[in-house]
Amino acid sequence: MFKNEEMEINLGPQHPSTHGVLRVKLRLDGETVTHCRPMIGYLHRGVEKICENQSFFQGQVWTDRMDYCSAVANNLGWAEANEKLFGITVPRRAQYIRTLLNEFNRIASHLIWLGTHAMDIGALTVFLYAFREREDVLDINEAFCGSRLTTTAFRIGGLREDLPPGFEKMVRKFLAKFSDCLEEYENLLTENRIWKKRTIGVARLSAEDAIALGVTGPMLRAAGVAYDIRKAFPYAAYAEMDFEIPTRPEADTYARYQVRMAEMRQSARIIQQCMDGMPEGPVMAKLPKILRSEVNEVYHATESPKGEIGYYLVGEKGSLNPYRFHVRAPGFINLQSLPKMAEGGLIADVVAAIGSLDIVLGEIDR
Amino acid sequence: MPTPTLIQSLVITLIQCLLVVIFVFVVVPLTVFAERKVLGHLQQRLGSTRVASGHVGFSGWMNRRMWKMGRVPVLSYWRGIPGLVGDVLKLILKEDIMPTKADKFVFFLAPSISMVAAIVVFAAISFVPGTFFTLPTWFPFVGGLPVSGGIADINVGLLWILGVATVGIYGIVLAGWSSNSKYPLLGGLRSAAQMVSYEVPLTLSLLAPVVLSASLNFSEMSSRMAIGMPFWALVPQVIGFLLYLTCGFAETNRLPFDMPEAENELVAGFHTEYSGMKFGLFYLAEYINMTVVSALASAFFLGGPWLLPFGLQGLLNPYLPGFLSWFGAPHAIFFVAKIIFLLFTYIWVRGTIPRYRYDQIMAVGWKYLIPLALVNLLLAAVIRCFAV
Repeated sequence: MFKNEEMEINLGPQHPSTHGVLRVKLRLDGETVTHCRPMIGYLHRGVEKICENQSFFQGQVWTDRMDYCSAVANNLGWAEANEKLFGITVPRRAQYIRTLLNEFNRIASHLIWLGTHAMDIGALTVFLYAFREREDVLDINEAFCGSRLTTTAFRIGGLREDLPPGFEKMVRKFLAKFSDCLEEYENLLTENRIWKKRTIGVARLSAEDAIALGVTGPMLRAAGVAYDIRKAFPYAAYAEMDFEIPTRPEADTYARYQVRMAEMRQSARIIQQCMDGMPEGPVMAKLPKILRSEVNEVYHATESPKGEIGYYLVGEKGSLNPYRFHVRAPGFINLQSLPKMAEGGLIADVVAAIGSLDIVLGEIDR
Repeated sequence: MPTPTLIQSLVITLIQCLLVVIFVFVVVPLTVFAERKVLGHLQQRLGSTRVASGHVGFSGWMNRRMWKMGRVPVLSYWRGIPGLVGDVLKLILKEDIMPTKADKFVFFLAPSISMVAAIVVFAAISFVPGTFFTLPTWFPFVGGLPVSGGIADINVGLLWILGVATVGIYGIVLAGWSSNSKYPLLGGLRSAAQMVSYEVPLTLSLLAPVVLSASLNFSEMSSRMAIGMPFWALVPQVIGFLLYLTCGFAETNRLPFDMPEAENELVAGFHTEYSGMKFGLFYLAEYINMTVVSALASAFFLGGPWLLPFGLQGLLNPYLPGFLSWFGAPHAIFFVAKIIFLLFTYIWVRGTIPRYRYDQIMAVGWKYLIPLALVNLLLAAVIRCFAV
C-alpha cells in the first residue's frame, strides 16, 4: 500500500544558500541525501575565450569578474602569469604593495565567506559584523585603485600608481582594530554549542580524497595538508614574509572555519610586515608600449583565498593576444568534492558543506 | 452593581473579544517593528528608518538635511512605523497565487486554521485580576456593567490553551502538504515531527505550575504561582521557566528552532507557495503565537498580572474607578511589560544563535528536555508535598 520513494529535489539555482546560481540536484531519502550532483553553467560568459580575443592588457578586467569576491588575487595571478610570459621583472616596491593588497583581499574574501557561511547555518548577526569590516577593506581598495569590487588593481609590470597619501594611516587603523573584530566573531561562534554541533564532524573530506579531487586552499589545509603556494612556490613578496600555514587535522566544517579564521590573523600579520618593510623605489617596470608575445607557454599558480588559482597562457609569435588562455579555478575544482562531502548527510549538511566550500559562481562558470 | 442578563453578558464578551483583537493587532505590528529595530541595532545597523515616501514635506526636508550632515535623523528613527501599514497593505493587495496542482480547499484552509488557533487561545488568558474596567453608564445596553480581565476564565483554561495551540500545528502541516511542492512538504513534515515532539516537554513544563497551584484555571494558576512564592515562582521553577521558554521557541518556529521554515535550507519552508494575505495570516499567526507563549510564561513563571513591582502593590488600587480605568489598569500594564520583555528575548536570541539541525532538534527535545521536564515535575511535586 505504501511505497518507499526517494525524492528528487533541486537546491537552486534560485535558492537562498547556494551563493548565486549553483544548482544541486539532490536525491533524498527522508532528509538524508543519497545522491548529490552539482550542476553549473548558469553564469557562463566565456571569460577564457573573450580573453583570447583581447590584448594582454585588457584581459585583466575579465579576471575581476571571475571571482568577484577576490578580484585582487585574480589580478595578481593574471599580472604575474603575463610577466612570466614576457620575462618582466617587477620592482620590489610594487611586489610589496601587491602582497599587501592581496592579503587585504584574502581578509575581505574570508569575511564574506564567514558571513554567508554563518548565515547559512542561521547566525544572522555575524554576517553584518563581517560586512562591517569588509567595508573598511573595500575602502582601502577604493583608496588605492578607485574601485571597490572589480579592482583591476595591478598592471603587467607593476602598478599603475603608487600608494595614495593617507594610505598607510588607513591600513594601520584597520590593523589596530581587526584582531578585536576577529575576537568578536569568534565570541559569537567558536564556542557556541549550536555552531559546534552544526559543524563538527559535518561534511568531512579526508586528505586523500581532497588530494585525489585536486582540492586546494583552506579546504585542503583543514584536512591537515600544509600546502600553501605562498610557501611552496613563493611569488610576489611572500618569500620575504614571515607567516605560518594554519592547518587542522579534523577535515570537517569546523576545521575549515578554524583554518580560515587563523588565515585572517596571518594575513593581518603579513600586511603588518609589508607596511613596516615597505621599500622605496619605482612601482612600474620599463615596458614596451605594445606587448607582442613569442611562442611560449606558461602556467602560473597563486594562492587565492579559495585555493590554487592557475593561469595557463599560450603565446603566438607576434600576436597581441594570447593564443590560448585557461584558468584553473579553485572554486570549480573544489566544488567537485561536494558529492563526497554531502552524500550520506542531511539536507542541512549540504548547506553547511556548500558554505564551507566558499564558492563564487562567477569563477566556477567563468 | 446590577447582574447582567444573558444577552448583556454576551455583548460584554463580544466587547472583550474586540479588545483582544485590537490588542493582538496592536502588539503584532509593533513586535514586527521592534524586531526590525532591535535586530538592526544588534547587527550594527538602524533597522527600518523610512517608508518610500519619506522624503516629502517638512520632515522629509529635515531628514534630508540631517543625512547630508552625516547624522541619523531623529524623525526618521520612527519612520519605519508607517512602513508597517505599507506592509499590511501590500499583503492585502498582492495577487493571491494558487499553485495549479495544489489541493485548493486545504490550501485555503491551512492559513485560517493557523490564524484562528493562534487567536482563540486568548479566550482563556486573563490579563487583569478581576474587573478590568466598568463601562460608563451612558454606554447603550450594557452601561454600568463590569468588564472582566479575561474573556472566559474557565476552570480548564490551560487545557484549552494547550489543546487549541496544538490545532495550530495542523495549519502548518496542511499548508506543507497541500502546496503539492517539495520544499513546503519537507517543511510541513519537519514541523509535524518537531512540534509533536516539543509539545511533550512544553506540556510537562506547564504541568509543574498545575501541580504547584492545584488548578487548571488560568487566573487561579497565575495568582498562586505569583503570590506567596519566592520571587514569583522563579526560584522553585527556574528549570521549568527555561524549559517552557525553550519549548515555546520551538513551538513558534523561531530561531534556533525554525526548522519548518529554515530559510537557508528550505527556501521558506511550509509557506513557500503562499503569497498575499494567506502568507500574511501565517506571519500574523507566528507573532500571535509568540505573544501567547510570552503571556503564558509571564503568567506562570514571572508573576503575571498579580504583583506590582517597586512597592506599588499596596499603594496603587488595582481596581481604578470609573474614568481612570480607561487609561489602563496598572496590573495590565505590568503584565504587558513582562510580555514585551519576553518578546524582546525572542528577538535577542534570533540575533545571537545559529540554527539547530533537524535531527539535533529532535535529539535535544527527546534526550534532554523531556527528562529535564520530568525532573522538574518531580521537583514541583516535592515542593507541593512539603512546602506549599
